[in-house]
Amino acid sequence: MELDDLKNTWHNRSEQAKQQNVTFQLIDQMTRDKYHSKIKRIAYPEIVGSVICIVAAIFIGLNFNQLDTLFLQGVGVLSIFVLMTLSVLSFWSLKHLQMTNDFNMPYSETLKRLATQKVKFYKLQKVNMTLCYLLLVTTIILLSKFFSGKDITDSKFFWTFSFSFGYIFLLFFSKFVTWFYKDTLRKSEELLQELQS
Amino acid sequence: MDKKELFTSAIKDNESFIYKIASVYTNTVEDRNDLVQEIIYQLWKSFDSFNQQASLSTWMYRVALNVSLYQLKLSKKRISTIPIDEQVLNNSETDNSENDEAWKLFKQQIDNLNLLDKAIVMLYFDNKSYDEIAEIIGISKSNVGTKLLRIKEKLKSQINKTK
Repeated sequence: MELDDLKNTWHNRSEQAKQQNVTFQLIDQMTRDKYHSKIKRIAYPEIVGSVICIVAAIFIGLNFNQLDTLFLQGVGVLSIFVLMTLSVLSFWSLKHLQMTNDFNMPYSETLKRLATQKVKFYKLQKVNMTLCYLLLVTTIILLSKFFSGKDITDSKFFWTFSFSFGYIFLLFFSKFVTWFYKDTLRKSEELLQELQS
Repeated sequence: MDKKELFTSAIKDNESFIYKIASVYTNTVEDRNDLVQEIIYQLWKSFDSFNQQASLSTWMYRVALNVSLYQLKLSKKRISTIPIDEQVLNNSETDNSENDEAWKLFKQQIDNLNLLDKAIVMLYFDNKSYDEIAEIIGISKSNVGTKLLRIKEKLKSQINKTK
């Protein structure tokens, strides 16, 4: 296959496009608002996640009187704080995504924005996962208190397990994220350099 | 001519490029149909914001390429897709692109290029002038020339390796 063959293949593809004949029906449905963008669907899991966080924070707030020690109350406040922070981060990233979703801009600008977004995404993931782990520990403490009336922190195994598991998890996770982060950063830098050259 | 008629006519004039772009950025018939729908939808939504500074065709190419980039990003997040109308999609299943050997070879070569080069070479294959490519991509005309030279060399070298 030569370069000219590639060009011919590209042109031959136009014939297949003409056979599709879906355009009129598509436009008709779109103009009657019967079509919903799939790009917007990226927001759904984020919204569901945020709603779950808010509901959980309200649940902890409503049952706060069951937390009878200062330590448990501290854990309760920390959980509400983490849950609200996760919701805010989620809504913030959605708002950011909507703001940058301008399809009229030049292609190179979209490439730059997506590359920058990717780097920001990995930074945010680090914060997100650390908060999620913290939330996992506080949730176990609170659920045990709310549903069985026991303070699980009295058990020394709980802390040994939480810290050892947490350390291993965070160690592997941070190495994993750092690897992807470096790779993404390298690719983004290459792309930005290429756009400037 | 009302807005809908004007839009339909503009789409008809450029639909082969929309279809081809969608074919390059996706790997299955379903994904390609989804992307074609999404491009036409975003074009319809932005149709009012189209200003006459660029030609209609240049603007359409730009939107189509940008939507393809976002869709590519979404496909990595594995968002499930819902067809707008089974009947509409069934009409497109006469397609035999998966068996098209030449297209497969074309895709193999093009997929080795980065996203910027891929867009430039598609516009070049579509007989766009350097000025138009520069306007759609958002780089200088001289930069388009330099990049096209490099892309052609890269493609030649790739093709020679596969011989």
